[in-house]
Amino acid sequence: MIVSFIPILSVDVIGSVSMVVISLLTLYKARILRETDRDNAVFLYLLWISTGFTLFAVSRSFGHILRQFLILTSNADTWHAISPYTGSVNTVSFMLVGLITLFFNQCWNINEKILTGRKKLEDTHIKLMDLNQTLEHKVIERTEMLTSSEHKCRRIFEQSLDTIIVTDSEFRIMEINPAGIALTGYTRDEMIMKKMTVGSFFADLSEWERIHNKIGLKEYILNEETEFLRPDNESLLVLITGGIDYGAFGCAKSYHFIIKNVNEKKQMEQQIAQADKLAALGELSAGVAHEINNPLGIILGYTQLLLKQEPEHKEDLKIIEKHVKNCKTVVSDLLSFSRKGSPELSIVDINKVVDGVIKFLSNHSDFRNIEMSLNPHKGDRLNILGNEQELAQVMVNLVINACHAVDGKGHIDITTRKADQDKILILVKDNGKGIEKKNLSRIFDPFFTTKPVGQGTGLGLSVGYGIIKRHQGDICVKSSEGKGTLFTISLPANRT
Amino acid sequence: MPKKVPNNSGLVLKFIPVMAVAGLILLPVCGYATQLHASSEGIITHQMGHFFFLFSMVALIFTITGKGLDKQKGWRLIQYSAFFFILWNLDVMVTHFFDNQIHVVKIETISIGKVRIITNNDSSMLVWFYYVLKLDHLLCVPAMLFLYRGLSNLVENQRQAKAEKDTP
Repeated sequence: MIVSFIPILSVDVIGSVSMVVISLLTLYKARILRETDRDNAVFLYLLWISTGFTLFAVSRSFGHILRQFLILTSNADTWHAISPYTGSVNTVSFMLVGLITLFFNQCWNINEKILTGRKKLEDTHIKLMDLNQTLEHKVIERTEMLTSSEHKCRRIFEQSLDTIIVTDSEFRIMEINPAGIALTGYTRDEMIMKKMTVGSFFADLSEWERIHNKIGLKEYILNEETEFLRPDNESLLVLITGGIDYGAFGCAKSYHFIIKNVNEKKQMEQQIAQADKLAALGELSAGVAHEINNPLGIILGYTQLLLKQEPEHKEDLKIIEKHVKNCKTVVSDLLSFSRKGSPELSIVDINKVVDGVIKFLSNHSDFRNIEMSLNPHKGDRLNILGNEQELAQVMVNLVINACHAVDGKGHIDITTRKADQDKILILVKDNGKGIEKKNLSRIFDPFFTTKPVGQGTGLGLSVGYGIIKRHQGDICVKSSEGKGTLFTISLPANRT
Repeated sequence: MPKKVPNNSGLVLKFIPVMAVAGLILLPVCGYATQLHASSEGIITHQMGHFFFLFSMVALIFTITGKGLDKQKGWRLIQYSAFFFILWNLDVMVTHFFDNQIHVVKIETISIGKVRIITNNDSSMLVWFYYVLKLDHLLCVPAMLFLYRGLSNLVENQRQAKAEKDTP
């Protein structure tokens, strides 16, 4: 049967071209789809299948168009020769498409696993972010707490009036607070750069050895009383407490010390005890002196009456008179030490008193080889309300004692100055042999003396002490053996 | 102690290859390096390919339905594409069966506008059936078009999803 070939031909050619065009567009879309999510296995699968369809469409369309062309141009033989090859390529291409298609299920499952994994990963990421945020908040919170705590500790360290020292395991100073710098007298740089140890503050190294051993044994010390020596040779009494810190978070072992300056407290206690003792002695002395003074007066009176009659034992009576007079002097001094009532008081210029005493004593033969210097206060007058004679007596006693201390050859410096608006200070300093430590607390006791028997009554300083106390003043002493002694008299200034 | 009995099986096994080599040398026959293929083998392979393609398309349709993807327009269009490819495969398989396998139909070109379709039994119905089957592009072009539309739809959905995700 003869039929029209036009429909077959046109559908074949147009269809083939359409297949190529649409398959290429499909491939393009598949590529776009793949680009939207490169990790999606299904989209990758669709790209593969689109590629397969494009290969199939191109190979098939090429074969069909070529066939129509060759047959219509009477080249059927050529077509018969080529057709097995185009047919085979066509077969392979659609088998490839079929093969790829069968992997859809596997691709889908892989993609599901990827999506599940990604979801889990996202969930974990969110959890991790939450945890991280919580951790950051906690870190900020803890850091603030730590900063606050550090600030508190730092304030305590800096503001403490007691010395706080942190040392390394070899007791070398690592940290010291401002109170410590003031107490020790060394600068921070000096202590740290020179690697000074706590032991270098001790006046007595054997004392440090003892404390060092005690820390080694007990790992702490509590309120150990000891003496520090400052660079200016001033000694201080301190209470030292310390302990070991084995360190946390990998920090090295260290020692912490808290040192309390008890020098002033101790001195005050000593002064109070001294004052109490002297007050008691004063009471006793006054009683004894009063009881002895009357019999001595009778003895002296009768002795002098007998001497007027030119007796046989005149020389013996003179000896009695002399010794009775000596006894009366002692009794008078005792009464002067313990006198309760106030003598006649007037406005006294301290500079004038001191100047008079120096002028008086410098003419004495004992002071020939002694260099005396006066550093008077310059400016307004140093007036006090007191008894000039008594104050001069105190000064004479102190200067004579200084003369004995330097053993007739040395320096005596006398200084007067205002401590503040209410106090006037008189300082008597010598470079003599000093006072032994054990005697320091007894020098104001009546009858205490270090001079040979017969050379001193031991009442000079006691009387001076009594006079100063009656003037509402104070007298104190600092002494270093072999270096000298400093007496400081403090008197209330007259405001009128 | 039991006496050890000699085992002769190893000797027999060693003797078999020697016998085989001797047989090949002493009794020679014609040997072919490769197998010869009949001319119909090509068309059967081609038909099997079409069948495999058809089978994969059926599998694709059921897989898409099985996973519930047919609720999405894009995948539904891909299902339509697979369906048209199934139809196309059936079309070309029947065409090849008629003209290449049982040779009941033959085409002769008369001119650019006319062809003669010759059937073994002069059945005009077979002629027209064959004529319609030859218009197979009417099935594969829509199939390809559905695939393109399906992918376009998936791209569009993907873009929308991304835009929604990016919108704060």
